[in-house]
Amino acid sequence: MSADFYKPMRLNEIDSSLQEEIKKVCDINVELCMECGKCTGGCSNAHIFDYTPRKIVQLVKLGAEKTLLSMDALWTCVSCQLCVDRCPSQINIPHIMDYIREKAHRQGVKTRRINVELFHDLMLNSIRKTGRVAEAPLMLNFNLRSRQYMKDAVLGGRMFLKGKLSPFSPVVKDIDHVRRLFKKIADNREG
Amino acid sequence: MDIAYFPGCSLHAMAHEYDTSTRLVCQRLGINLYEVPDWNCCGATAAHSLDHHLSVGLSSRNLALVKDMNLKQMTTPCAGCFNRLKTASVELKQNDDLTAEIEKLAGISLTGAKEVEVAHTLQVIMEAVGMEGIKEQVIKPLNGMKLAAYSGCLITRPRAIAQFDDPEQPVALDHLLQALGAQPVHWSHKAECCGGGFAASDTDIVVDLGGQVLEAARQAGAEAIVAACPMCQTNLDTRQRAIEDERGIKYNLPIVYFTQLMGLAFSYSPRQMGLNRLLTSPTTLLRSRGLS
Ligand code: SF4
Ligand code: SF4
Repeated sequence: MSADFYKPMRLNEIDSSLQEEIKKVCDINVELCMECGKCTGGCSNAHIFDYTPRKIVQLVKLGAEKTLLSMDALWTCVSCQLCVDRCPSQINIPHIMDYIREKAHRQGVKTRRINVELFHDLMLNSIRKTGRVAEAPLMLNFNLRSRQYMKDAVLGGRMFLKGKLSPFSPVVKDIDHVRRLFKKIADNREG
Repeated sequence: MDIAYFPGCSLHAMAHEYDTSTRLVCQRLGINLYEVPDWNCCGATAAHSLDHHLSVGLSSRNLALVKDMNLKQMTTPCAGCFNRLKTASVELKQNDDLTAEIEKLAGISLTGAKEVEVAHTLQVIMEAVGMEGIKEQVIKPLNGMKLAAYSGCLITRPRAIAQFDDPEQPVALDHLLQALGAQPVHWSHKAECCGGGFAASDTDIVVDLGGQVLEAARQAGAEAIVAACPMCQTNLDTRQRAIEDERGIKYNLPIVYFTQLMGLAFSYSPRQMGLNRLLTSPTTLLRSRGLS
């Protein structure tokens, strides 16, 4: 892990615009955070996060957008929603994560977990193409694109024998409608 | 009871047995499932991870299709789909700005979609039929099978969206298993995360989190784990060998869908319930209770 992640923040960098933005777009008020740490205490994956959920909320308050956009936790949050329900102030941290991840993705900020981002991308491509996800072809495509040619070969064989791997790609009949959603919603908001 | 049915991508592929068992069990209980015609993927983790608007948009199309069926309720057995569909449904009802923005971007009306209610199939069964109604259908009780009821994350969380059971100490699945004559164990991980959508993209996370779930079930003396989500089942079943290798412990814990056990208790055969499709075989366990 790069030492960069732990660079201390300088006070003169404080800026409340990110906090305002998250309040406006996500309807989340980070000012209500009392730093109790219950979110971090409950978090499924805090033990591998570079910044824990409580710190992430603080980073939003401090306006440390660059740190947030490049943090590893964006790509290791499992969206388990434990922090949301434990927070006495109902601060929706996975929603903040989604918002910042979306921004990082659109700005092309590099992540160490390229495979997580790649998998999401391939899955969205599959939905755009056919309206649904074909699991087996998606896995195969992912292994090829991430150059892990032998990944899960043995497991794949066991699953095949159980009839769990279907080579078919189901297609939504009104696929034009789905594609329109992608075109109008996703593409319009890019750039 | 008539209700729209959203199987989701997994139930049409890897989790085919969850689809079949759900349909048969609901039929027996008098819950008429009508598959949403031409449904599309809910967008899963990918869409909400990269594009919130798109995620709501994709789910809204499904909600609108239900409205076209002249039904007001939709159910899905997948906890992941449930979370996406219900998040969209709640957003459409509460967030007028977002709804207007999506309507404008996509050039569609979401008025109909707004009226549709979404519930996970476990909730529908427990609320429409309940423990007593389930007991009435039991022909072959599960004979005290010791089971770890695994709700996982998204059936009950976040509380404000799911609006069902307790977010961290859920009991619905335990009650259902009790009604089938099983003995649910007390355990620590009934609502912890299995690693969700990371099975392929960051397998270590599933081996780590899924491993904790398996270990907790073993320590509680469970003979199998009962899932209500294709992602939970697939993670714990397909990654079990990798977890065993990493921990040096042989778990050999079958990961069974709750509908499969309901079907068995309603006297369907293990094959009809697709129990032969699980990677970790439940055959020994079923034999020990005279169910196979
Ligand atoms: S649980 Fe809520 S209030 Fe407490 S530290 Fe976390 S975000 Fe802040
Ligand atoms: S949703 Fe993400 S941040 Fe919140 S507890 Fe789960 S893993 Fe941690």
